[in-house]
Amino acid sequence: MYFIQHIESITHQDSFQKKNIWDELKPLTADTGLISPDYKNYIPVAALRRLSTILRMGITVSKACQEKVSHEFDSISVGTALGCLTDTEKFLVTINTVSGDILSPTAFIQSTHNTISGQISLDLKNHAYNMTHTQNALSFEVALKDGLLCIDEGKSSVLVGAADEAIPFLERLRGSLIETSHPFTSGATFMVLSGKKGESISHIQACEVFFSEGNTENRIEKFLSSNNCSLQELDLVLEAGSDFKSKTSAHYSFPDYSGYYQSASAFAVHMANDWFIENSDSEAILIINNMESNKLGLTLIRRNEVEA
Amino acid sequence: MSDLKENLKAQIIEQLNLEDLTPADIQDDAPLFGDQGLGLDSIDALEFIVLLDSNYGIKIADPSEGKEIFQSVNTLADYISKNQ
Repeated sequence: MYFIQHIESITHQDSFQKKNIWDELKPLTADTGLISPDYKNYIPVAALRRLSTILRMGITVSKACQEKVSHEFDSISVGTALGCLTDTEKFLVTINTVSGDILSPTAFIQSTHNTISGQISLDLKNHAYNMTHTQNALSFEVALKDGLLCIDEGKSSVLVGAADEAIPFLERLRGSLIETSHPFTSGATFMVLSGKKGESISHIQACEVFFSEGNTENRIEKFLSSNNCSLQELDLVLEAGSDFKSKTSAHYSFPDYSGYYQSASAFAVHMANDWFIENSDSEAILIINNMESNKLGLTLIRRNEVEA
Repeated sequence: MSDLKENLKAQIIEQLNLEDLTPADIQDDAPLFGDQGLGLDSIDALEFIVLLDSNYGIKIADPSEGKEIFQSVNTLADYISKNQ
């Protein structure tokens, strides 16, 4: 089993360093803004001035996770769909507009997707395995599977997370490349997973990804059945859309709360973990990531059994 | 020369994202690099090369010259006025 030892999020919700994010959770409106902590408490000022939102969020939630568990991670797996968009845009605009022969190095250096996990490793002074996964809307799930494999290999504590940032340019893609009615938002969620239960309240039982069109209901039934569960046994479904709203007892469309960024299913894991805090009769939660029509991510999360 | 120095300070703040500083916070003769001054680093040195190229049309052919040129606002302004 893969126990969730700690989880942190910076999002458009008041979600950072909260005991239970459901206390403040509310559906986002169009004028939503990122709720940022004081990054200077986590990142040296000299470094902070260069870091874009996605890097600030990623480093800060990672550091908060490390501070909580007080040990080094044996691996770091990060998912991001669009990577460091602010620096990418800045670099491309500079290429088109600057008259000189030389381009600013900072935006170029920080425009790659791998900058996030690299900066996290540098800031945590962590020399262990470190990997970035970018698989569109399944970026988080693939990073999660990487982290679970690391635990299977014997690593005792792994950091898994996802981050994406919104830039105004995304609005120009709405309706063409990106189909969503939700506001474009930024968010980062990182969690510490371990094979040991510790003080965790829930664990990830399984995660599966599908990169082709298929019958979603059949896939879900097969996934649940292979994990000794069924749709009827689920206490909560967190879904990117609303296809399964009528088939389950409790259902939330997680982009209503996270806004639209392609790795928002990581925030759904935070919602699931904290759901168990107040809902003592809940046992199983399914996250259905059907954000993109030709892809499907399924994550089954269960409350830990209480030891007699 | 004083106008050049004031412009340089504003450009340094913008190019290096020194958002907590104003031009008045940067002394003309204060070291730009190291713990005694603004605490700039090697990436900032590259940003200075870009700044000189894009704002003043000056190309530094030998990057090792940068250590002398980028010591302070005074040395930067002096180099620009002699090479522009």
